[in-house]
Amino acid sequence: MKRFVGMWLVIGAVLVGLVGLFAAFYALAALGARGAVALGFPGFFGSAIVNAVTLMAVTLMTVAALLTVAERKWSAAMQDRIGANRILVLGKFPLGGVPYLLADALKMLTKESIYPAARSKFLFELAPVLAFSPTFALFAVVPVGPEVRALGQTVGMWVANPDAGLLWIFALAGLSVYGTTLAGWASNSRVGMLGAVRASAQMISYEVSLGLSLVGVMIAYRTVNLQAMAIAQGVEVLGPVPALGLLLQPLGFLVFFTSSFAETKRAPFDLPEGESEIVGYFLEYSGMKFGLLFLAEFVEVVILAAVTTAVFLGGWHPVLFEGWLKAHLDPLAFGAVCAASFLAKVILLTWLQLVIRWLLPRFRYDQIQGLCWKLLLPGALVNVFVTAAAVLVDPSLQVLAWIGVVEIVAIFGITMAVSKPKAAHGGHDHGDAHGHAAHAAGH
Amino acid sequence: MPYQIDNRPADTRESLYFPEIFRAIGLVVKTFWRNAFFSRDPNTDILERDRSSNRVTTLQYPEEKAPYPAGYRGLHRLVPRPDGSPRCVACYMCATACPAQCIYIEAAEVEGDPIEKYPKQFVIDELRCVVCGFCVEACPKDAIRMDTGEHPAPTYAREGQIYDLKRLLRGPPVSYEKDPWLVRPSRLTDAALKADRAAARPYGTQGTDEYTQTPGFSVRELAAEAKARGEAK
Repeated sequence: MKRFVGMWLVIGAVLVGLVGLFAAFYALAALGARGAVALGFPGFFGSAIVNAVTLMAVTLMTVAALLTVAERKWSAAMQDRIGANRILVLGKFPLGGVPYLLADALKMLTKESIYPAARSKFLFELAPVLAFSPTFALFAVVPVGPEVRALGQTVGMWVANPDAGLLWIFALAGLSVYGTTLAGWASNSRVGMLGAVRASAQMISYEVSLGLSLVGVMIAYRTVNLQAMAIAQGVEVLGPVPALGLLLQPLGFLVFFTSSFAETKRAPFDLPEGESEIVGYFLEYSGMKFGLLFLAEFVEVVILAAVTTAVFLGGWHPVLFEGWLKAHLDPLAFGAVCAASFLAKVILLTWLQLVIRWLLPRFRYDQIQGLCWKLLLPGALVNVFVTAAAVLVDPSLQVLAWIGVVEIVAIFGITMAVSKPKAAHGGHDHGDAHGHAAHAAGH
Repeated sequence: MPYQIDNRPADTRESLYFPEIFRAIGLVVKTFWRNAFFSRDPNTDILERDRSSNRVTTLQYPEEKAPYPAGYRGLHRLVPRPDGSPRCVACYMCATACPAQCIYIEAAEVEGDPIEKYPKQFVIDELRCVVCGFCVEACPKDAIRMDTGEHPAPTYAREGQIYDLKRLLRGPPVSYEKDPWLVRPSRLTDAALKADRAAARPYGTQGTDEYTQTPGFSVRELAAEAKARGEAK
């Protein structure tokens, strides 16, 4: 019971802390905007620079680094274990394993980098950077919070807000495969090369369904700008229910989430890594270069969660009690609550990814390609056509929302409709096993 | 058989992957909820743990230790008399019985006593010991026991595994009715002597092996049971 209360207290404290943090970030962004105006530049220059630090360098990197701890502790809870708890702060408090973060970082930074003699010298150094930076830069277009008027400036909680937001995401997600491929190729190791080939084949396949899965969203919201998409998701469509991407595009959500999960190269899509068969494309890397490849994976997880949140889970809209919050809170506080709810959704989705990562074993190669080309791609195509037809019939998205409801109910129904194993079949197997046992005993 | 392996081909629903994955996610989420939000029963006997909410079966080893089975042969100890001196009379029975020859005893005469000896030094090399328990069986005085329930602590140097009299002489003292110091005049004070006589056990009815030293566990009872079942004579 003590733990139960404690866990909820921690969750509450994290949420409150996030609200406070984002209030501070808004204030900092407003200060940056004022500074830029004072220097004669447009205000968003300053807020973008401040946001690049607060959102990307602080928030994103902290969440990604904490994910290494979460991976240990959450996976432990999923597998009836306790997880890392041997570092005790002040000799008493394990603090949920968070001090392991420092130990890991220290280890990564102080380890020796070992270089294979036959490497491609320049590309070997370049590959980790190429793997990390596009993924990292993806976060620039993710709108974390709404536009808020603070300190006399209108500031947004994003680094950049290009009209082609989703295209930026496609472009950079496609670019990140270069790091992986080059890492395998430049290390001049046949096993690393195998990992790289697997990675590129997987990426190319899933890139297709990744792109197609978002076409439906683009049709529904009639924009590729992520901030506009987030705003569109706050509009009520079925009574009080807002037009969340999850409601309008459940199929698109499934395809996008799966495809981008494959892009992160984590189990069950970890064929490029496949540590039990080939060690993977980073086989020859050590020290902080490996750390960068490793961190890129975690950053990818967070960014996938962020993009999914922005496109499908209502972005920064705190879906519950939004009207009440907006009416009763100061605009800055409301913005902070919105941004905090965005990050809370991101954390929830990273948690969901960890659940899947620790749940499923690695797919076989033909299963991976089969899942992509036979299931996700046709699903995405059907989704595009159905969405287009629904939007054509009813531009107010009502029809699309109802189709989404039907899809959700259908998916739920199929999930729950488990056929009982046939008794006769099972009996036969049982008899068969006995037969084998008797046979063995006879020998 | 814990699992029934069914090699039939996947049906349409299963080949969709997602429905089964959703169900599995539900399972993992349930496990996560149980283990993350409810506290672990720290019972060291894992099979006895309450697993209705938290299902973690981990034993946090150095802090929590699993109880050893009755009669477990642990680290040796030399049983002290109530005054702190060893019960051992340096008869060399244990050293003679030891198949690994890991016991070294240096005997000395007790001052003012015409017959009694005591060990001036008593050394057991725990690296050589094969933990057979013959020394305990051989001891006529119940002076060496393996009832500590501990292992020799790990050390960085071999010297650390050599246990001398100082390290071996520990644990609760044991007295028997016919112990000479309870019969003859001794170094104990009157009150201590009286208490010790009251606590003394009748000698001879108690075995000296570690099984009979463990409360609630008796080799003789086991033997009687086996006899009743007709398994032993």
